[in-house]
Amino acid sequence: MARANWALRRGRPVIQIILTLATNGQALPRTLLADTGAGSRKSGFELILDEDDCLLCNGVPAFPITLSGAYSGSFPRYDIQVQIPALAFARKLRVVGVPAAPAGFDGIACFGFLNRFHYGNFGDPGQFGLET
Amino acid sequence: MAAALSVQDRNRELARRINEEARNNPQSPYANKMVGIANGQVVVVADDWDEMSTRLRQIEPDPRKCFALEASENLDEVHEIWGSM
Repeated sequence: MARANWALRRGRPVIQIILTLATNGQALPRTLLADTGAGSRKSGFELILDEDDCLLCNGVPAFPITLSGAYSGSFPRYDIQVQIPALAFARKLRVVGVPAAPAGFDGIACFGFLNRFHYGNFGDPGQFGLET
Repeated sequence: MAAALSVQDRNRELARRINEEARNNPQSPYANKMVGIANGQVVVVADDWDEMSTRLRQIEPDPRKCFALEASENLDEVHEIWGSM
């Protein structure tokens, strides 16, 4: 069992992932709003990121997807390598690329992703965490 | 005419046909499978997205020449993103 915790940002739950830049293989840390209201268990995407990040990290194109609500319309989808080293998590995930991430964040960790783990504050109201 | 299509166009058109076949025929070998396409051809079929993607990148490292899909996906579905902005 492993757990990773992150301090709330602007009072909201976040997680940090690591992407990999295609040009030089460098790690690209990204802080995502953890939002269980984003998508469902079977939405066909797990994260929402700035589309530039998807392209910089060698995203393989997939079919676009239609969103409504905070993002509305058709958006491109990519297959991207995502890591959370503290959880020994490294997998390729389906990611929606958007023109701009929510203000103050680099993207959204959607329900489909959070639901891979146990998630919550684990008794500390100032933090949010994921546990395998 | 087909030769005039770009690799990305050919990949996307093949993916569209595979998805349509899988949705119309549950006995299709692609039904509910993860499919990787490179240079206009199916190069990997797997049950798991991560496995498919890993093998696809081994076969064709250039993502611009690849396409990935979950066959049988309903592409007309609208997905809600509740007010996170």
